Amino acid sequence: MQALPEFELLRPTTLDDARKARAAHPESQIIGGGTDLMVNIRRGIVAPPVLIDLTGVAELRKINADETSLEIGASVTLVELAAHPQVIKHYPVVAEAAAHIAGPMHRNMGTVGGNLCLDTRCIFYNQSEWWRGAIHHCLKTTGDICHVAPKSRGVCFATFSGDLAPALMTLDAEIGVARADGIRAMPLNALYIGYARQDEPQTATRGDGKHFLSLRPGEIVTSVSVKNTPGLRSAYDKIRIRRSIEFPVCGVAVALRRDGDALIDLRVAFTGTNSRPVRLEGTAALCGGTPDARVLQDLDALVRDQVMAMKTTFTPGHYRRRVAGVLARRLVTRLFES
Amino acid sequence: MNKIQSARNIGGYVPMVDGPEKVSGRARYTADILQPGMLTGRIFRSPYSHGEILDVDISQALRLPGVKAIVTGADCDKTFGVLPIARSEYPLARDKVRYRGEPVAAIVAVDDATARKALSLIKLNIRELPACYTVEAATAAGAVQIHKRKPGNIERDIIFEIGDVESGFKEADLVREATSNCAEVCQNQMEMHAAIADYDALRDRLTVHASTQVPYYVHLMLAQILDMDMSRIRVIRPQVGGGFGARSEALNIELIAALLARKIGGCVRMVTSREETFITHRGRPETDIRLKIGMRKDGRITAVECECDQRGGAHSGYGTVTILYSGSMLYAIYDLHNVKYTGRRVLTNTPPCGAMRGHGTVDIRFAFENLLDQMARELELDPFAVRRANYLSAPTFTDNDLMVNSYGLPECIDWVERESGWKARRGKLAKGKGLGMACSHYVSGASNPVNASGDPHATVKIKLDFDGSLAVLSGAAEIGQGSSTMLAQAVCEVLGLDLSRIRVIASDSDLVPKDTGAYSSRITFIVGNAAIAAAQNLKGILIAAAARKLEAKPDEIECLGELYRVGAQDKGITFDEVAAEALKGGGAITATGHYSTIPESRGGNKYRGAAIGASMGYSYSAQVVEVSVDEGTGVVTVDKVWVAHDCGRALNRLTVEGQVQGSVWMGMGQAMSEETGYHDGLMLTGNMLDYRVPTIQDSPPIEVGIIESNDPHGPFGAKEAGEGSLAAFLPALTNAIADAIGIRFNDLPVTPDRVFAAIEKSRR
Repeated sequence: MQALPEFELLRPTTLDDARKARAAHPESQIIGGGTDLMVNIRRGIVAPPVLIDLTGVAELRKINADETSLEIGASVTLVELAAHPQVIKHYPVVAEAAAHIAGPMHRNMGTVGGNLCLDTRCIFYNQSEWWRGAIHHCLKTTGDICHVAPKSRGVCFATFSGDLAPALMTLDAEIGVARADGIRAMPLNALYIGYARQDEPQTATRGDGKHFLSLRPGEIVTSVSVKNTPGLRSAYDKIRIRRSIEFPVCGVAVALRRDGDALIDLRVAFTGTNSRPVRLEGTAALCGGTPDARVLQDLDALVRDQVMAMKTTFTPGHYRRRVAGVLARRLVTRLFES
Repeated sequence: MNKIQSARNIGGYVPMVDGPEKVSGRARYTADILQPGMLTGRIFRSPYSHGEILDVDISQALRLPGVKAIVTGADCDKTFGVLPIARSEYPLARDKVRYRGEPVAAIVAVDDATARKALSLIKLNIRELPACYTVEAATAAGAVQIHKRKPGNIERDIIFEIGDVESGFKEADLVREATSNCAEVCQNQMEMHAAIADYDALRDRLTVHASTQVPYYVHLMLAQILDMDMSRIRVIRPQVGGGFGARSEALNIELIAALLARKIGGCVRMVTSREETFITHRGRPETDIRLKIGMRKDGRITAVECECDQRGGAHSGYGTVTILYSGSMLYAIYDLHNVKYTGRRVLTNTPPCGAMRGHGTVDIRFAFENLLDQMARELELDPFAVRRANYLSAPTFTDNDLMVNSYGLPECIDWVERESGWKARRGKLAKGKGLGMACSHYVSGASNPVNASGDPHATVKIKLDFDGSLAVLSGAAEIGQGSSTMLAQAVCEVLGLDLSRIRVIASDSDLVPKDTGAYSSRITFIVGNAAIAAAQNLKGILIAAAARKLEAKPDEIECLGELYRVGAQDKGITFDEVAAEALKGGGAITATGHYSTIPESRGGNKYRGAAIGASMGYSYSAQVVEVSVDEGTGVVTVDKVWVAHDCGRALNRLTVEGQVQGSVWMGMGQAMSEETGYHDGLMLTGNMLDYRVPTIQDSPPIEVGIIESNDPHGPFGAKEAGEGSLAAFLPALTNAIADAIGIRFNDLPVTPDRVFAAIEKSRR
């Protein structure tokens, strides 16, 4: 085991202290369970001089869940979320997504905030210092090109792989973001800005695999909340080559409502494909009738249009894109008929 | 009264003698050993695939405070390698670098942070050469030559034809040909490579602790690399966290640690990262196979033609042996005549391959059993019937002169057919489900040691002194496979004693007799027989002493382990009394036992290299695999595995079952998810996330049937149990998938994306 590089670890016990620490150390990084960040630090991918550990902040460790609403603090662990009876009962997609993350030890340590802000991943990025040096690094670190798409002209294609984001996005979740002067609320959807496609200029709201979160300097995600929609059915499923440990080859969350024989509300979101979790657009057009073969085919067309999987993982992008549609169709059918 | 019971430990479920330390965390592995004044070693590795070294500039790194010394290729002009004919590798590259990750320099520093910083200050100046990453590129006309002495980048080619293949195919009712590609795989043993080298400059002595399967080869290579007399070197093998062939030759890690230790006259600890362990590699090469089989309507095989290309990586390693195994081990499982084999071991600019579990036999067996299944379907034969039509009848010698005395394959086949409910269930499973079967085999120790030196193939000593305990001294490397437990059991069985009297010492060249190590599944057969011989010699000494004490003739003495007596009426004397009598006059007793393979077992000379594959005995395995295939996503789930393994005699059912399950599991990894990947020779999968070893969540129930064919030469009838059941899983899986969805996979691993693509293609 190689020694870790040196860093200062701050462990605030109140949100106020956490905010102050963040403001005082602009180059700091927030750490929850460290299941992803510590690996990246050990590999020399990031070298934050200061880490702010939020797990000691009691107010961020609470889950308030009942049939009307759900509020989850950023330091709640994934195992706590997956096992919470009210979450399982009223927000199954969230509990299922949490239970699908990595392996049991990761879930014991990993936190909701950490999973929502999980760094994007790429087979050319999640490698050792020596390895990255051997190919002169990449766009996401200090290099000049993206090895996934060498002609991408400044766009990084690293993939977002958190499982909770798509689940919560189908429930129209909001997040709380703390900053030096207070807390602001914003739609979870707006946290993710990894939209950019090849040759597109990047802006404050259209980033890429490198600039994939809309957080401003000094901001901390503190909570995520959901208002329950009566009659909403939801579920999460994902493909991975092994049934534990792995990041998703592709993960899909679906929430829908049924009225008689008609689908009246459909929300679908993906992870493990693009540089952001993708909330599928245009699903309203699929509602109004029974989700028959034609509707499912239309759903598949939307998926193929909006899900873009590049060569960022060892598993080919083509498969990830195609299987995303398969999982979505299956979940829609299952939930509709359940 | 139980004191006079014979231990009867053979054939039971015996916990491993070193188990308590391992499960409680008290066992000491190389990285656990700390010594005062120990320094940290780190390796600077080539970021280039291929190039001439112009300069390795270490001047800046040397000036960094805390850096004690740096070694480069200039510090050692000796090569190493496991085969005396193919020592092509410098511990640190000298003239050229040949793969990304090859060691170029090494630093010793006061701590890891300093060593790490110093690494970034080393400058490698190189003239880059074109690189060959595939067999195709390396063997293309005009390809750059990787090693001067190997034109065309062919490490070894081999052709043999035994019998008449052409007329064999003419006799066939069906001739089919298939090409297969098996991805390169790695062992990924739990413990990362580690070495501690301590050089005593005052006395010119070196002590090396190494995580190795072959302490003797490490000893030889240290002497060669350092140009030191072997008598000045001591090699200690602490507990080892798995091998599977990754450490069945001396690795650059222990050699570099020793070079550093000598340079500073001190102690250097070198513990590699998981990525470095992957890049050190020595795994199973990527293999391309073209196989053609002729079969009669009744399933009898009339001819076999096989071409095999292996992408061996940048150095020789075991390469010649691997490509020879792939040919010779076509035999000794079925009654084959008319066989032609063409093999090429090719050098490429990728990390060097080695002798991974099932050495040389696995990919060939996959191709063979996969094609047999396809042909059985075409001829509308049950796949079991095809195997039964081709049984050997032991004792026999195969056409390539392999000696087969015991042959439990028929019983293995019967067991899995019965236990899996094959006859009642095959063809009647739900949609997307299928059953497949296949067989495999493996050697119980290579009959010819790699470095033959004329001494016995194994020597075991047992020391008995005033305390009445028995110290079993052997160089056999315990690497988690149960070698020390086996030695203790063998000695106890002969002497009728309880395991509590025994201590196995198998870790230190200062104390134990030489042993060539843990490879080719040799220890139980070869060292086990030496242990029996040593115990018998000790028993003779003890019986003579008991006879003196009891004033009887030696042949009147009845040995009951803890009690020696003259007939049932005699109350006898205890083991301690016998031992005390035996020590009179000469003091501490050391009884020695030897074993060497018999000349008939050492193979023939029908082609150059025909001795590879020769063994005293062969294990056999049959498997049935049940799968479910999700035709929408391509995900294959293994629902259950039935495996029967002929190990001759199970000395310890607990460890035999564990080894067989582990083999199946490792086969499952290769078949379904494991493969290395490279980006221009840079290993993409050098971590446990991207190199996908199955997790316990992926592990199916595995039912193990132990078949005991009682080999006439095996220790208590035993043969190997640790490798032979790996290969059969691969084709049993693809055969089951073919049964489930009607698609046959010839390429490995069968990952969901490949299944998905094949299903899509079949629907077009």
